[in-house]
Amino acid sequence: MAKLRLDKYKPLVALGVFLLAWWIVPVGVKVFLKAGFTEFQAPAWVANSYLEDLEGFWGRRMHSKRELEIAGQEIARAKSYYQFNAQRAETLQAEISRLESLLDLPSRREYRYEVARVIRRDVNAWWQHLILRKGRDHAIPAGAAVVFAGGVVGRVVEVNAFTSRVELITSPNFRMAAQFEGDPRPVVYQGLPQSGFGDPVGRVSDAPQDLVVTTQEPLRLVSTHLGGTFPPGLAIGQVTWLEPGVTGIFQTGQVLLDPDLLSLHEVAVLIPLNPLEVESHAP
Amino acid sequence: MLLDPRAIVLFGANVLLIYLSQLVNSALSAWPVYFLLLGPLVVLPALYLRHQSYFICTLLTGLWLDAVLRAPFGFFTGLLLLAGAAIFFLRSRFRPEHNYHPLLLGHLVNLWLIVALTLALGRPHFGVASFWIQVLTTLCASHLALLVVAPWFYQLERLLFEICQLETEPEDLPLL
Repeated sequence: MAKLRLDKYKPLVALGVFLLAWWIVPVGVKVFLKAGFTEFQAPAWVANSYLEDLEGFWGRRMHSKRELEIAGQEIARAKSYYQFNAQRAETLQAEISRLESLLDLPSRREYRYEVARVIRRDVNAWWQHLILRKGRDHAIPAGAAVVFAGGVVGRVVEVNAFTSRVELITSPNFRMAAQFEGDPRPVVYQGLPQSGFGDPVGRVSDAPQDLVVTTQEPLRLVSTHLGGTFPPGLAIGQVTWLEPGVTGIFQTGQVLLDPDLLSLHEVAVLIPLNPLEVESHAP
Repeated sequence: MLLDPRAIVLFGANVLLIYLSQLVNSALSAWPVYFLLLGPLVVLPALYLRHQSYFICTLLTGLWLDAVLRAPFGFFTGLLLLAGAAIFFLRSRFRPEHNYHPLLLGHLVNLWLIVALTLALGRPHFGVASFWIQVLTTLCASHLALLVVAPWFYQLERLLFEICQLETEPEDLPLL
């Protein structure tokens, strides 16, 4: 009779022991392991990002003097335009502050803008994230809003020592309070699974029945202060159609998002200067 | 010896493949393709190494992967160890010195990981057509890429054994 080889079963026994150990191991150990492995590999991604910057630098060095002169002229024009806008914004801000003090309005949330490079984009069917080159070293808080020139990008979901992870607005796990431009009634925006073909889309729900949208006259969906994370008025996307929702009381529709969301290189993290204190708002 | 030095080489090669595939995915984020090239990570460790070394190499690879990708922590570690245990259990039937069997195993493990990932994380979106379109696109792109990447990766691992002057033969020769 052939001798039974018990050592053959070693991998299965080891797997069983590992799964049992993983099940009973304290959460703290898992958190430590996750943080350890994440921090250990962060320098490789950061270094790659700096290499890309260097590549861009040398790429720009290859331009001719004439091209640089033209670019300089364009920048000078843009600078004077933005200087004028900054002066105007200061005047308007002073007027707003005066009116707020007259009406005794509560103070609004103020934000500091921390501009950060995107070092990795991880966009697939299961999750949609960006990794930024700033983390705890720049006081990025978890839950902070992330924006770009086209509007809302997402929310910071994880902060590490030198990097942070942002959940994109396209992700099905992303949800925020919103409103249509010029209409103060709140609606709900949620990300959708993306097919990858065509521009990114999201979904708006709880839209009032009296809103009418057509492809010729789309409505602009913007952020609202209600969620507490985003300042009001930031662009989310365009809504080109609405249909009755499952309850029949509200309407739902598709939100067309900015296609640049999936190829961002630089974003700004909004860090609240006066963070909300949950206890003080409790009834 | 507690740990076969080849386990360190194989772990290093795994880290390289994960890093390169994530770099490509990041660059192609605006395109509807995503490469999930995880199958080859577990094949040669399970075919070449003794159990202890294979286990440590696969465990470290799984934890590394769990830190890179956003599945629940431990998800890929468990799945890679499960696939590795199955390969290790049957390894006397495979010929690791050629690419044919490792290539087939790489595809099978990759398919297993994509299916498990979809079942674990995609359940709320099973009714959404765009989710399935992207999963199928990822599946096709990954397996097409594996046809090229997996043989290159196995050859690289064997080449690294030679460069590091390590044993180039597997621990157990196949039963013929």
